[in-house]
Amino acid sequence: MVVSDARAGSEFRVLRVTLGKEVGKRLADMGFTEGAEGQVVRSGFRLGGAFRGPFQVRIRGYDILLRRSEAAGIEIEVGS
Amino acid sequence: MSFDARGAVPVRPLRIALAGNPNAGKTSLFNALTGAHRKVGNYPGVTVEKREGSRFRNGREYVFIDLPGIYSLTAYSIDEVVARDFLLDERPDLIIDVLDSTNLERNLYLCLQFQELGIPVVGALNMSDEAEAKGITVDEKALSALLGLTMAKTVGTKGSGIEGLLDLVDRAVAGWVKASGPALPRSIRYGDEIEARIEPIEAAIAADPLFAARFPPRWMAVKLIEKDADARERLSGHRDAAGVEALAASAVAWIEKHYARDAEIVVSERRYGYIRGAAREAISRFGKPDFSLTEAIDAIIMNRFLALPIFAAILWGVFQLTFKLGAYPMGWLESAFAWLGGAATSALPAGILRSLVVEGIIGGVGSVFSFVPLIVILFFLLSVLEDVGYMSRAAFATDRLLHSFGLHGQSVFPLMLGFGCSVPAIMAARTLKSPRDRIATILAIPFMSCGAKLPVYVLLSAAFFPKNPGAVVMLVYAIGVSLSLASAWVLSKTALRGDPTPFVMELPPYRAPTLSGLLWHVGEKTQSYVKKAGTVILASAILVWAITSFPVYRPAPGLADSGTRAEAAMEQSFAGRIGKFIEPAFKPLGFDWKIGVATVTGFTAKEVIVSTLGVLYKVRGGEGAGSSGLRAALAADPVFSPLVAFVLMLFTLIIPPCFAALATIRAELGWKWLGFSVAFMLILGWGLGVAVYQVGSLLALAAPLAAGGAA
Repeated sequence: MVVSDARAGSEFRVLRVTLGKEVGKRLADMGFTEGAEGQVVRSGFRLGGAFRGPFQVRIRGYDILLRRSEAAGIEIEVGS
Repeated sequence: MSFDARGAVPVRPLRIALAGNPNAGKTSLFNALTGAHRKVGNYPGVTVEKREGSRFRNGREYVFIDLPGIYSLTAYSIDEVVARDFLLDERPDLIIDVLDSTNLERNLYLCLQFQELGIPVVGALNMSDEAEAKGITVDEKALSALLGLTMAKTVGTKGSGIEGLLDLVDRAVAGWVKASGPALPRSIRYGDEIEARIEPIEAAIAADPLFAARFPPRWMAVKLIEKDADARERLSGHRDAAGVEALAASAVAWIEKHYARDAEIVVSERRYGYIRGAAREAISRFGKPDFSLTEAIDAIIMNRFLALPIFAAILWGVFQLTFKLGAYPMGWLESAFAWLGGAATSALPAGILRSLVVEGIIGGVGSVFSFVPLIVILFFLLSVLEDVGYMSRAAFATDRLLHSFGLHGQSVFPLMLGFGCSVPAIMAARTLKSPRDRIATILAIPFMSCGAKLPVYVLLSAAFFPKNPGAVVMLVYAIGVSLSLASAWVLSKTALRGDPTPFVMELPPYRAPTLSGLLWHVGEKTQSYVKKAGTVILASAILVWAITSFPVYRPAPGLADSGTRAEAAMEQSFAGRIGKFIEPAFKPLGFDWKIGVATVTGFTAKEVIVSTLGVLYKVRGGEGAGSSGLRAALAADPVFSPLVAFVLMLFTLIIPPCFAALATIRAELGWKWLGFSVAFMLILGWGLGVAVYQVGSLLALAAPLAAGGAA
């Protein structure tokens, strides 16, 4: 599963970031590394299929906004 | 330069870089450290503001340099490049790492990278009061011992903990001098296997002592493992760059094979792992801060249906408040300048000097300064939104919309500043990470109608649309916003094509703004506008006065009527001749030579259009937009019609805003983009103006006001 598929409110553990070079490194710098625990606070608002706003994700004690394209590059496992 | 107690040996001022994550309270700590002793400059080559301030203590001078807030020492954004170049190239004596005590986990990530730079680091555990209120206790002694750097608790907004922090600075510097040598700084270990690969690289780098003196080998080695492009570029100055690079490449290959993921990711993981270990021992309630208040507000502000309407409502409220509140001080300033003009008229003998002072300087600069209150209020309200933390919410609300026009959620703040003054707005675009987003945003900003264009709209709409002047002004603003989005869209489909850039942005918790912080922000942003009024506009006011006053007109005998004489004098002047010369270019817009001259002088700054028209129509006294004399004179001129007035507003909206804004675009993007932007604005302004005028004329809207009545 990836962050953009997760329901708002679900808690997760990061498996890996599949995004290339700069963005992948930036997400790792911001705390998305293997095993990091987080929560999808808010999933982007939707107007039709493609028109979807950013995600709000809580990781390492702070909140971060991600677009769907970045959120789709973070593999997670959702906790029970 | 200060002297020690014996007065003999001068003690060199200590140069201290203040660095840390955004939203860690760096600015308030800087203010608490430096008091009033500070100055604002720019980092070389970029217009990122460089704040410097100093403090004297026990006979020693401390010079603090406030670095931009960053998350990591990569070269991801301009802010990071600036911070990193400063640390590497200027090598300050010490780094104070300002850490947000409520969120040490991510803040320490940057701290670990500072420790690798071979510069002593002292940690300021800032916002410690907020952390305690949230029930987070930090054992700074234990944390210091674990991480190998000293730390003191501070509260920047209250100015507490400053002395303790400076004691640590003194000790760190003294200890550093005594122990000197590259072995001293304790920094993170990445684990035996990775260390075994880093060490040979370090040794190879250190083999060129000249290079190693400039770039710390440890830092360089780690950055090469992280595949940092900027570090690789700097490596080209090494005696054996190829050898070092080969070592680094094999280390990267080994790590990636062994850990089955990118080496730069492994490095990040190790850093976070190291922080976890240290934090578990020294911090209670680590990583589980309380979000309840922020969450309660965000449930409404960031609601998926309400976020965008709330943003629009806030923007509307900001404008209403700005214009309602600003009307009073604007009136006072206008009457003050009118009084000043009157006083100068009676104090000076009639002649060229009086004409220069009253009509040129006081009239020209006065009409601009009257708008300072509007700008101050607008910037104050926007700074409140910024300091409270609303701007990231605005980015959340607008990103999807702006993204479809090729912009970025973070473009929203620069674009909003653009309603005040393009200069700080263009500078604010530096927070955008990708050059493409930055260029698109900067090129879109001039279409956000700035405060200087407002007097032109107010004058013309009051004169030619007396029934509904407000609606016409709103229409012009709306056209500006549409053009701004449209031009960004066109650019993103043509000159700036490429993959969408990432949107990764921190969402800080809400914080109460401090008055000193707000005043600082407002002062900084207003400064550029006032500076413009004091320099560009003063010079252009004098120039406009000169070209309309010279050569001195000698009336031909027989021309008795003073109105005709003034008109003839104007046509005779340099301004008149320039106007006549360029008139053919303005004809298709319905402009005569007078409007032509006004728009040409308006190139320096848009407010100048109003004052030039005032001079051209020989309206004496306060030339502010409120003056009814100029309005009547314009309405009486058969050249003008509601259509021409509207075209002039449109033209004013679109053509390049002012010299100061152009200079800022050049500083941010270089000559090439400046040329592109100017050409784009001129062609669009002229083309659209001609289209509207010609179509309007066909529909017979060009009748002068007297005959056709107000539209």
